[in-house]
Amino acid sequence: MAITALSEPPQIHRLRQSKYIDAVRWLPPLSALDRLAVIAVFDSDSDSAAIETHSFAPDPENLTQQSQWFSPSRISSLKTSQSHHKPFVAAATLAGSIHILFGDSMDPASLESELLMPEKALHEGPISCVDIMDGGVECVSVGEDGRVNLVSVGESELSYQRIFDSSGLVSFTTAKWASPSEFATGGYGFSLQWWDQRKPGAAVSQFKGSWSQRTTPGIVHSIDIHPSRKHTCLAGGSLGTVFAWDLRWPQQPILLSGVGAGETTHSPCESEVWEVHFDHYAKSSNVGNVSSRILPTMICSEDGILAVVEQGEEPVELLAEPCAINSFDIDRQYPSDVICSLEWESIAILTRS
Amino acid sequence: MPGVASGSGDTRGASGSNDSSLVPYLPELRQPVVYSLHHGLKPPIGRLSISWSRGNNLRVSVLRPPSAEDSDDVEVGGRVVEVRLSNGDGETGDAKWRRIAYGSVPPFALLQSRRSSVASLSKMSMSPSPYNIDWWEYVMEYSKDINSLLGDSKAPPNPVIDDPKTVLRNVEEPTSLKAAWELMEMFYADKQCQSWLLERLVDWLADYDSLLSSTQPTVHSKLVDFQNELVGLQVIEDNPKYWEVLSSALAVGWIEIVVKMLRLHGSYQFHQLGNREIENGLVETVSFLISKMPRMRPEVEYGRLGECYKAKPDFIKAWEKWRGKITKLDCSAFWLQCDHRQTREGLKNMIQIMLGNTDNICNVTCHWIELFISHFLYVRPFTVGLESMYSLAQKCMQLKPMSSAHGLIAIILGILGENTEVILAECSRAFGPWMVAHAIELLTTGSDEAEFLLQEERHSLGGISIAELHRLVYAQVLSSHPLTWQIAPIYLTSCMKQGMGLLEILLYKLPIQHNETLLKNLEICRLYELDTISSNIMKIAGVYHWKHGRKGSGVFWLQQARDEIRLSRIAQHLFDSVGKSISDESFKQWEGLIELLGSESKTTGGLEFLHKYRDFKKSLKQVYGGKTTDTARQAVESLISLMKNPSTPQRFWLPILHDSLKLLNWQERPLLNVSQTSLLLNKLQELSMAKLRPDFIEADLPPQALSSVRLALATNLGRAILEE
Repeated sequence: MAITALSEPPQIHRLRQSKYIDAVRWLPPLSALDRLAVIAVFDSDSDSAAIETHSFAPDPENLTQQSQWFSPSRISSLKTSQSHHKPFVAAATLAGSIHILFGDSMDPASLESELLMPEKALHEGPISCVDIMDGGVECVSVGEDGRVNLVSVGESELSYQRIFDSSGLVSFTTAKWASPSEFATGGYGFSLQWWDQRKPGAAVSQFKGSWSQRTTPGIVHSIDIHPSRKHTCLAGGSLGTVFAWDLRWPQQPILLSGVGAGETTHSPCESEVWEVHFDHYAKSSNVGNVSSRILPTMICSEDGILAVVEQGEEPVELLAEPCAINSFDIDRQYPSDVICSLEWESIAILTRS
Repeated sequence: MPGVASGSGDTRGASGSNDSSLVPYLPELRQPVVYSLHHGLKPPIGRLSISWSRGNNLRVSVLRPPSAEDSDDVEVGGRVVEVRLSNGDGETGDAKWRRIAYGSVPPFALLQSRRSSVASLSKMSMSPSPYNIDWWEYVMEYSKDINSLLGDSKAPPNPVIDDPKTVLRNVEEPTSLKAAWELMEMFYADKQCQSWLLERLVDWLADYDSLLSSTQPTVHSKLVDFQNELVGLQVIEDNPKYWEVLSSALAVGWIEIVVKMLRLHGSYQFHQLGNREIENGLVETVSFLISKMPRMRPEVEYGRLGECYKAKPDFIKAWEKWRGKITKLDCSAFWLQCDHRQTREGLKNMIQIMLGNTDNICNVTCHWIELFISHFLYVRPFTVGLESMYSLAQKCMQLKPMSSAHGLIAIILGILGENTEVILAECSRAFGPWMVAHAIELLTTGSDEAEFLLQEERHSLGGISIAELHRLVYAQVLSSHPLTWQIAPIYLTSCMKQGMGLLEILLYKLPIQHNETLLKNLEICRLYELDTISSNIMKIAGVYHWKHGRKGSGVFWLQQARDEIRLSRIAQHLFDSVGKSISDESFKQWEGLIELLGSESKTTGGLEFLHKYRDFKKSLKQVYGGKTTDTARQAVESLISLMKNPSTPQRFWLPILHDSLKLLNWQERPLLNVSQTSLLLNKLQELSMAKLRPDFIEADLPPQALSSVRLALATNLGRAILEE
């Protein structure tokens, strides 16, 4: 059975910006008419960073800037969510600060109010990743300094609690919530950690990828956890590697792509996989075998590939650019739409039919 | 004032320095640009120091003189400000330049790969020329791709209701960059258009004449002026300017505009048709003849006028026939019956232009290039060859001297004069390194001489060719910007001689602070198989992270680089903190790092000891938890493997043995056999010898530790001998 949903090539809109794009996200829409994107930009001319909201119109293709919020430092991680019918944005910076920006319920594109956690409070140096709990008001932040923090978003201020501090012995590069009490982190040596707030002090489970004798393990750049299968953590990283770690069989990772994946799997790319997300749009061809198969996964890479990979299937390439695709996001409400940021100061928006 | 070079300040050296200057300095070339600095310091300023910062930025350090010790001056001693220099090109901003730079990468890379595959193919077939017949088609494809980056040539669609008084259509402001590129494309790359080059030039001038208006009046600027007046004019044919503009537009071949403007003639008005019949007939005839002008080109765009001829003999025949009709009209008796003087004279003047009367043409054109173009249209429509074009250009320039030369004009003269060096110099001066690096591909296609000139390796340039030099210069510009450095390798690797060396320097100099840049850098190393560089960069990154307290990342990068030496050195530091801090509680902190290190010894520089030590401690903990003899046996296994392992540091020997006292004094039966006990006793002996050495590190243990270990080992040995 072929992946029927992707039989037609997607409609691609390339929108040139005159600034470097550090991250892109869709903003949860309040009505079907709004298509809002949040973009973290870096202007090398003025050496300034900002978060902008843009509304997207497909015909004629156009991104219109709606609001702009200047950041004191470049954005290292950007996430969007919704709380009390208000969209909000969590941004972490290279300087180590976290900013929570709220849109108005009438005008979601305006990022008017801001809550700040200043630099040096949470982390020494840059924050690698921040993740918002689904539907909640709690964020997890991880950094190269080896700290794991929980940031609670209050009415008028942010408060935090340190979950773990490795004093630099371990660095974390990414984090993702699995449930209101559990989250996963990723780092060097293709390592993954599973944390449970009910069992504080240390990670409850650890994994280190060393399936290939020829190459040394690389870095995990991005992880994702599917809301319906909270025991499986999907990870993407160096050398085109994408793998899934099932907590029920923690010593047996499932390699979806990359070196060592074997002849049966064709890897869509060979360089850094910058971001991975479960693709809610692609219909899995493995309908019968629900629980053991990994759901379709979308990846973007340094060598300019945006593709959907699935266990035991040929990958489907959505976009092949001459430059790197640094980040992407699948719209939660309209999973046919994908926004991604390209290295050469532009944004691509794909609409799958 | 410091920082400003004043001519009057130092007169002694002035005459001497003039004689020894290598390059004649022409101060009138460019106006100096004044940048104001906001340093906010109170005068006096003692010293200024200027250095290059990143990209186009100058770093200016402003220092005040050291204040006297007793003064209560709390003012800061100095400040560093950065001055951003604009690149002096108002037409194209930085962001737009970057957009062009990104966009030109794929066509450039494609052309280079085609060149190398064509070269390897021709080597195999031993063909005399490396370029087979369709090489120019590749170059043409490249040129079209680049041209599309330089601006939108798409004119907006024609309005549904055409305003008869809109003579000039509103189009996007053309750029000189695109104009220059199209010039080179038509002369060098597009071999298909060689037979109708003159018509291409006419089109080119129609598109870009407005650019020349910046330096002197042109037909275009005349038209713009008239267009503005047009709305207020009542009887248009009475206005001498109407006829002047008509003849000018006709002279440069903008026949659509001419025909449209003739329709504005008052005799077309309904109530006048009756009494101006003859006048109207003449206007209509002229307009009809103009619209039927023969043109030596394959086709005209929709809505454009003229009759096209592909073959030259057909064109010559048609042209002569057309001229015959005009001559006949010129001698017509109807002129005498036309009583509107302006119309009669205006139309007659237009007929003279079409008949190729050089005086009339000269009178109605402004710029020499317009005169040049109208010569092709009406005087010498069969001109072939650059040489005759060049001599014509010189004649035109004598008739219409320029006050100041536009960059484009200099390029045209270079092309017509077949002077590749002039073209390069003008491209560089007017458009900068991007243009030169990319236009060289067109120039080398133009002629064998140009190709030889550009590809010849020159001693004066350090053994590289002019083409390579300009590519290197462009790559250097790309490297200096934080957003474009990633595309510099594509240009550097196309440079045979110096490219790889400069690429290595570029990769070494990139910042490694942020993982993203570091990984992008390593990716480039991987693509070009620069393994040594990538391992060096990883070492630099490893040491950087280690020094900044991120021990895990430091170890990771040094492991990736397989740097045994640095790993074993930092291992000593790690062991220091292990000795003090590894308790049961802190193992949680260490866990991740120990996992990262793994248990194999190849790439860890002795750090795999930590892995074994952790396993030993874990099994020991189980023993103390009151487990059976089996777990104790496992603990002994770990103990022996630890003590056998050469990478276990000496300073851990005694603490390890002291920790395992319970194993040595196991009550039920001796856990260690004779050889195992002897091994441990030997280690203990070695330790006592080492104590005498000055670099010995005393373990932090109770004073009787050594003797209790020795006693336990001796007891165990006795029991083991008895058992055996």
